[in-house]
Amino acid sequence: MLEVSHLRKVYGSEETGNVAVGDLSFVVGEKEFVCILGSSGCGKTTMLRCLSGLAPATSGQILVEGNPVDGPPEDLAYVFQDYSRSLLPWMTVERNVSFPLRYKGMSKQEAKSATADALDAVGLGDRTKAFPWQLSGGMQQRVAIARALAYRPRVLLMDEPFASVDAQTRSDLEDLLLGIWERYAVTILFVTHDIDEAVYLADRVLVLKAPATVTTVAEVDLPRPRDQITTKALPEFARLRSELLSALRH
Amino acid sequence: MRVAEKVTTAPSPQPGTGPVAGRSREGSLRRRALDWVPRLLGIAAILVVLEVCSRTGVLPRESFPPVSEIYGSLLGLVGDPGLWVEIGRTMRGWAVGLLLAAVLAVPLGMLLGASRRAFQMSRLVIEFLRPVPSVALIPLAVLVFGVGQDMKVFLVAFACFWPILFQSIYGVQDVDPVARDTARSYGLPPLARFARIILPSAAPYIATGLRISSAIALILALTAELVVGAPGLGRAIVVSQVSGSITQMYALILATGLLGWLLNTVFIAVERRLLRWHPSHREVAL
Ligand SMILES: Nc1ncnc2c1ncn2[C@@H]1O[C@H](COP(=O)(O)OP(=O)(O)OP(=O)(O)O)[C@@H](O)[C@H]1O
Ligand SMILES: [Mg+2]
Repeated sequence: MLEVSHLRKVYGSEETGNVAVGDLSFVVGEKEFVCILGSSGCGKTTMLRCLSGLAPATSGQILVEGNPVDGPPEDLAYVFQDYSRSLLPWMTVERNVSFPLRYKGMSKQEAKSATADALDAVGLGDRTKAFPWQLSGGMQQRVAIARALAYRPRVLLMDEPFASVDAQTRSDLEDLLLGIWERYAVTILFVTHDIDEAVYLADRVLVLKAPATVTTVAEVDLPRPRDQITTKALPEFARLRSELLSALRH
Repeated sequence: MRVAEKVTTAPSPQPGTGPVAGRSREGSLRRRALDWVPRLLGIAAILVVLEVCSRTGVLPRESFPPVSEIYGSLLGLVGDPGLWVEIGRTMRGWAVGLLLAAVLAVPLGMLLGASRRAFQMSRLVIEFLRPVPSVALIPLAVLVFGVGQDMKVFLVAFACFWPILFQSIYGVQDVDPVARDTARSYGLPPLARFARIILPSAAPYIATGLRISSAIALILALTAELVVGAPGLGRAIVVSQVSGSITQMYALILATGLLGWLLNTVFIAVERRLLRWHPSHREVAL
C-alpha cells in the first residue's frame, strides 16, 4: 500500500545542506494503522512532505499503491501539522471540505453527500455554514479531518493532528479517528510525539531518530475496539509504553 | 453632520495632499459609534466659531463668508443640473482612469508577485518610474493628449497604477504556503489554484490598493481640472473664484470633500461585505 525504501532528503546541497531524512525504509500494509514516534526536529514532517509528493526526495523510492510518487498521489490525503492555516478563511466549513472534490472527478451530487457524510462523521454536521475562524481549535482540526475523509483517500497521512488541543478533546478525537478508520477502511500513517497516543491508536509503532531513520519497530497487539480507560490499564500497554520510552531516549 | 465634519479638511485642494488621503484608516464601527458624541460637539463648536468670526468681521468677510451661507449656496447648487454635470465629468475621469489602472496593474502585479525572475527584471524600471509625481507629467500629458478628458484619464491612471501594482505584488507574495500546499496535495490544477487560493488571498491587498487609488484618482482628476482647465468640478472652482463668487467657490470645495468622503465610504462598505472573512473585518469571536 505504502512502501518507502532508502528515502533520503537533504535541504540544500548534498555536501553542505541539512540532512532531514537520512535513510528511511518501511512498509505500511493495506488498512493498517501505523504511528511514527520521534522527537521534535527528527524529520517527521519532511518525511510526510516527501510521501505526499509535495517535496521531491533527494534519493530513494516511494510507492503508493505500487505507483512511484512524483507529485501528489490521487488517493492520498494529508492532514497538515498547521491545520488552522490549511483551512481557507474565505470558505465556509462546507466549502473547505468540498472544494477539492470536483477536481477528483466527483459529480456535484456525490461531492455534496460525501461532504455531509464526512462532516457528520466528525460531529460538525450542524456547523457547515460557519467559517473556520468562528470555530474552536479542536473543531477546526475536525474540519481538516473531514476534508481528508470526504476526499475518500486510500491512504491518510496525519502530522501531529492532536498536538494543540486539551487532553479531553484529544482523547475524544483519538476515539473519533479510530471509529473513522474502521468505517472508511483507510490506511493511516500517523505522526505524533506522544507515546500513549501512538500505542493507543496503532497496529504498529515506528520510532524515528534524527535524521529520520527507523530505530525501533513495535507491534501493538492490543485488542480492538480500544477504550481509553480499559486499554490503557492493560499490562501490555504499560510494557509497550516503557519499551518505546527507552527507545526514544537512546 | 458628517457633512460638517468635512468642512474642517476640505479647503486644502493642494495636489498630492487631498482631503481623502488622510481618512484611509478606518476604525471599527463600534468604536466609531462611541466616538460620536465628542466629535459632533467638536465640529459644532468649530462651525459656530467660524460663523461668528465671519459675521463679526474678525475674519475678512469677502474671503471667509459665513458657514451658513456656504451651506445655503451648496443646497442651492444641489438643485442645479450644472453641478451634477460637473460632478459627472470629474467622476468620469476618476472612473475611467481608475479602471484602466486596475485592468493593467492587477494582472501585471500578480505576475510579478508570482515570478521571482519577472520581479527582478522589472525592478529597476519600476523603481525609476514610481517616484515620478504624476503632476510633473502634466505638461507631457497636455502635449500628447490635449487639455480634455484623455489627459485627465492618463494622469489618473498613471497615479493609480502604482499603489494597485504594489498591492497586487504583495498580495500574491503573501499567500500562505500551507494554503498553497493544501491545494496542491488535493490535486488542484494550476488554474484552480489561482482562482481558489491565490486570488482570494490577494483580494484584501488589491482592495486596499483600489481604495487608496480611488482617493488618488479624485485628487488627480481635480488637479487636471484646476491646473489645466479640463472640464469638471475643479475648473468650476476656479471659475467661481475668478468671477468673485467666493461663497459658491467654498460650496464647490465642500462638494469635492463630500465626494471624496462618499467614495471612501462606499469602498469600505464593499470591502466589508466581500472580505468579511478577513481578520480586519471579522466580527469579534462569539
Ligand atoms: N524548508 C526547510 N529548509 C531547510 N531545513 C528544513 C526545512 N524544513 C525542515 N528543515 C529541517 O529539517 C529537519 C527536520 O524538520 P521537520 O520539520 O521534518 O521535523 P519534525 O520531526 O516534523 O519536527 P516537529 O516534531 O517539531 O514538527 C530540521 O532540522 C529542520 O530544521
Ligand atoms: Mg513536524
